[in-house]
Amino acid sequence: MKAQIQTYLPVIFLAVLVLLVGAYDPTFFSINNFLQVTADTMTLFLMAAGVTFVIMIGGIDLSIQAVASMASCILAAYLARLGILAIPLAVLGGAIAGLAGAIVSTKLRIPSFIATLAVSGVVLSAGYWFSDTRSINIPPDLSARYLSWAVGETLGIPHELWVGFIVMILLSILLQLTPFGRLIRGIGAQEQAVIASGINVDRIKLAAYTLSGALAALAGVVMAARLGSGSPTLANEFLLPAIASIIVGGTAITGGVGSVWRTFVGALIVQVVRIGMTFMGVSVFAQQIVFGFILVAAVAVTMDRSKLLVVK
Amino acid sequence: MQAKAASTGWYMEQWRRWAPLAVLAALCVLVSLFNPNFLTVGNFVRLLNSAAIPVVLCMGATFIILMGSIDLSVEGVVAMTAVVASLLVANDITSYSIGLAAAPVAILIGGAMGFLNGFVHVRLKTPSFMTTLGIGFAGLGIATAVLGGLTVRIADPVFRSLSLGRFLGIPMAVWIALAAFLVALTIQQRTRIGRWIYAIGTDEVTARHAGIPVDRTRILAFVLAGLFYGLGGVLAAAQFGQGHALISQGRLFTTITAVVVGGTALSGGVGSVVNSVIGVFIVVVLANGMVLMGIEPYVQQGVQGLLIIAAVSLALDRSSLAVVK
Repeated sequence: MKAQIQTYLPVIFLAVLVLLVGAYDPTFFSINNFLQVTADTMTLFLMAAGVTFVIMIGGIDLSIQAVASMASCILAAYLARLGILAIPLAVLGGAIAGLAGAIVSTKLRIPSFIATLAVSGVVLSAGYWFSDTRSINIPPDLSARYLSWAVGETLGIPHELWVGFIVMILLSILLQLTPFGRLIRGIGAQEQAVIASGINVDRIKLAAYTLSGALAALAGVVMAARLGSGSPTLANEFLLPAIASIIVGGTAITGGVGSVWRTFVGALIVQVVRIGMTFMGVSVFAQQIVFGFILVAAVAVTMDRSKLLVVK
Repeated sequence: MQAKAASTGWYMEQWRRWAPLAVLAALCVLVSLFNPNFLTVGNFVRLLNSAAIPVVLCMGATFIILMGSIDLSVEGVVAMTAVVASLLVANDITSYSIGLAAAPVAILIGGAMGFLNGFVHVRLKTPSFMTTLGIGFAGLGIATAVLGGLTVRIADPVFRSLSLGRFLGIPMAVWIALAAFLVALTIQQRTRIGRWIYAIGTDEVTARHAGIPVDRTRILAFVLAGLFYGLGGVLAAAQFGQGHALISQGRLFTTITAVVVGGTALSGGVGSVVNSVIGVFIVVVLANGMVLMGIEPYVQQGVQGLLIIAAVSLALDRSSLAVVK
């Protein structure tokens, strides 16, 4: 019973938050508003969704905000020349960045937070290079032709939401129903056991980080589509909320435990907390303070201390 | 056989000890070949000046990394203390004007943030990189929120002379950095805390069994780091004559690069504040050289990223790591 409650604690927390915000401002309770709020959360969810896999194996990816920014630059810089191909190019760029972080971490045996931090420096420079250190506007006609899948509405539901749902379903299948997902959970729970059973752990890790990079890039593409421009600093301020979403959703930083829907719920919690704070008149700048402490608190609650002999 | 193994170990150790200095020397030669302007007195003073704040920040970060932990809150604490200092001296937003007394206040606030880092990390048993990431972001948030996104301009020439004033032709910031280095060196070499930090980094479990107050030492190391970041924030405010959250942009990266490139191992127990000073000069000479060669400034973070990777992979004693997370 206790375990059951713990599993759904994030959902309960989200429901309470929604009720609180709704009690404060009844106009919050409308289907349209819910759809809009969820659609606004999707870029955050996309960024966090891939990192969920990395955190599940007990690692971390600190390069996602640089990767998303770089992807927006690639998209904006090449959309006119390459058309629709600029989108896979941007996602490929992100995947390569993720793979690079993974290679540095696994082959050179460097802790993932420092490996991805180092790679993020390179990625940031690459973003500046692609954009020529400027912010690049995406002309509305190009946006209408190539990016309408990310902005707009179908069947009354914002397109961001469709993208988010499709990604969530695909990633959930990948994590819950495939051998790859099982290995991800295995590595997070007991890496040495997985190594001992003869599985090439490094390959799985490479795949997880590559996925994380690709999804961060996809988030960057959707962000650029929504804002109508790409810039080397577009996704700044997204790293903390993205990691907070994963942890608040109940995925443990120590690895092994977690799922993609948790990150979805976590992203919604972050968004509703943000809306709630805005209603209460907390300045946008001050909200970061709250998120910093929420992150630390959530890490403290969810992590499995029996796994760590010494906390460094 | 054993003698051979021992001598390879000796060579490895010598290599680890001298490699950073050799890299620095090679870099200096290389840059001066490309551009003779590198070897002028004016450029040398410029190098010292741009090394001052990174050295101060590295003094704090070195102690944390020596314990095998990491501190990602550098930027948050520097931004916050720089903003606090600029608001306390004569400025265009508040009516305070406490002059030089702003410096100790800001430094103490840095220490308080460090205490928060250490206390949460030790008591809640959260990994240091997560704790400091969260608290660092909170610090950045405080710096931005206090100013509401504005920039505060400093109108106190005495406070600014902390960085811009000159003694024997060398900027005050350099002398202050030198003093910070000597303090850090004394702590490292002459105090129990210094010894304990090494012991914790080498083997925390054994250190605990040996009766070292590990938790207290950890918290104290984070406080020390915070005090140095506070000093860094004061120097940054004095140098630029203004306070805002962006004043600390890129400093985390430079700090970690310098510590790691200097030869302090991320796994803890190996390294020293002397290494970190050498590391700072490697980073600063490289940046200076790139400017002299006309390379775009935005490339620097990329180069620093590659430096981190190269240095960590050369320095890390990977035989002891079964699992890398």
